[in-house]
Amino acid sequence: MDIAALGVYSCLFIGLYFEVFLLISFLQNKPAKKTSDLPRYYPTVTILVPCWNKAKTLSATIHSLLELQYPKKKLAIAIIDDGSTDGTFEAAQEFANHPQVKIFTKKNEGSKYAALNFGLEHTTGELVGCLDADSFVAKDALLEVVKKFESDPDIMAVTPAMRVERPRNPLELMQAVEYLFGVFYRKMFDNLKAITVLPGPFSIYRREVFAKIGGFRHAHHTEDMEMAFRMHKNGLLIANAHTALVSTKVPSNLGGLVRQRIRWSRGFLENARDYSFMFFNPRYGNIGILALPFGVLAFGMGLFTAAYMLYTTVSSLIVRGFNLWTTGVPLQLPTPSFEWFFMDTSMLTFLVFTVIGLVIYTTFLGSRIAETKLPLHSLLLYTVGFGFIAPIWLARAVWDSVLARETGWLT
Amino acid sequence: MQWTEWQRYILAFVITATIFGIAFFVASRIDQGRVADVRAIQDAIAIDLLSTETQFELLGNLDCELLGEHPVLSEELSSLAERLSYTENSLGDKNEQVIQLKKQYSLLQIKDYLLMQEISKKCGGKPVFVLYFYSNEGDCDDCGRAGEVLTYLRQTYPDLRVYSFDYNLDLGALQTLIALRKVRNTPPAFIINNKVPVYGFKNVEEMQALIPELRTLSTSTPETEE
Repeated sequence: MDIAALGVYSCLFIGLYFEVFLLISFLQNKPAKKTSDLPRYYPTVTILVPCWNKAKTLSATIHSLLELQYPKKKLAIAIIDDGSTDGTFEAAQEFANHPQVKIFTKKNEGSKYAALNFGLEHTTGELVGCLDADSFVAKDALLEVVKKFESDPDIMAVTPAMRVERPRNPLELMQAVEYLFGVFYRKMFDNLKAITVLPGPFSIYRREVFAKIGGFRHAHHTEDMEMAFRMHKNGLLIANAHTALVSTKVPSNLGGLVRQRIRWSRGFLENARDYSFMFFNPRYGNIGILALPFGVLAFGMGLFTAAYMLYTTVSSLIVRGFNLWTTGVPLQLPTPSFEWFFMDTSMLTFLVFTVIGLVIYTTFLGSRIAETKLPLHSLLLYTVGFGFIAPIWLARAVWDSVLARETGWLT
Repeated sequence: MQWTEWQRYILAFVITATIFGIAFFVASRIDQGRVADVRAIQDAIAIDLLSTETQFELLGNLDCELLGEHPVLSEELSSLAERLSYTENSLGDKNEQVIQLKKQYSLLQIKDYLLMQEISKKCGGKPVFVLYFYSNEGDCDDCGRAGEVLTYLRQTYPDLRVYSFDYNLDLGALQTLIALRKVRNTPPAFIINNKVPVYGFKNVEEMQALIPELRTLSTSTPETEE
């Protein structure tokens, strides 16, 4: 077995190990079903809505917040226009006279963290959360989050279950499947106390978190990730309320998706570097032992597998072309053989199908948790398509990290 | 039962390793099935060859008409070659079972070659033979392409009989054939219709020029009119 093949088998082993580990975690602690119970106590809540050029979606986002099943007097919404140039501030004026809504505008400082800190300074509330201005909450989402806080006083922040808002085109459908996989993934990481990100759409914090460890940081344009890392560093517990559903808009074209993922991927790499002292450190539990090392390893594995596939495909095409040119044998389309003898039944094939099967199964579990059904072809799009485009942003994120290239906050 | 984190890590490792083990086992079993399949075909061909040889010895001659109705083994050998090549790619050319199968296949080819020569002498006809010697010891960059050219010619001219031999195969009969025909160890090498060996890669056009008898053979597809 050559080194490249050994590398592929190693990637498969690690990938399979990770999936098996999450499934064990799932079987040991299955997510509880939603109940009609209400919180015993309704804390005051402020939702920050930082927005930069979100004139088109802001109104729907605020309306979804205003429709939350929660005592009106206990819920405040702060719109923070971060120096938008597309009329976002004007769009926000729709809510100027609403008693629950406050509107702020500030000069853009190049990253979302500043808008969030601005919101923290200008608001009160026992719980404070944020909602990206292109995301929409289910009516009972806040109740579910508050119930989660109530279930354990040590919980300092809660993440929701995120779905894609009305996926239509193939790229959105692929992301919709990925988000469902993410629902399962986040819930399992909750079981392991190793959630690595507090996403912009509807992550809620106890306000004391910011008193203890400070506000948001620039953090390579991924303040949500850095905040999660910092909370783990300081022993503050993050939980996932899988019954709190949030829908978010996703990039509908390849350019937008690649830009977003480069920012996320690079943010992970650079924050992981900043918090490298947590790697393999049992003091930080599964975040140090599993989540961070595997995240970085997944980068390497994704790039290695993509490079290997690209190399083998290109080299075999070159050899094929050279042979056609020099032998004089006319080009013949391969005739598929359905005879068992000629079917690819190698160990590698079995393992690849096992990994894909487990990804599909975990996505199915995610869809049950998030109460979402997607058309079957979206699953096919995801398993076939994502493998081709993900290496683009993985490679670019590594490249940009190495060159320390600066970018703005793009989504 | 409350599992400790380490127990969970170890259990995941054991399950993953088991999945790898099962994949290895299933793939190996299927490969063994392939080897058995190839062996069964070889056995069938060996019986057919033996039957023809015995018939030849019994009668001192062959029933040429009967032979015309039941052409000898060309299809079977071609199918066997395809399967053997696939098995060799799956298991590797150093696999002991593959080497044994190749030896048996080479013997069958030599026997078929000799028998076909006898038949052509007795029954007439102008069969076209190509003995092709290759090497997969890493010392023959052109062998793959030479094999492609011969495969194409065999597909185009079903009556062309191509016998391919691994030059380095440790088989007495093969090494005798190599010595008798004075084939140098510089594959690819071709012996066309018992002439002196020809060395080096030849493309389709060059091979067709080397085997003018091909024009007398029927093709698998009707030729297009110009």
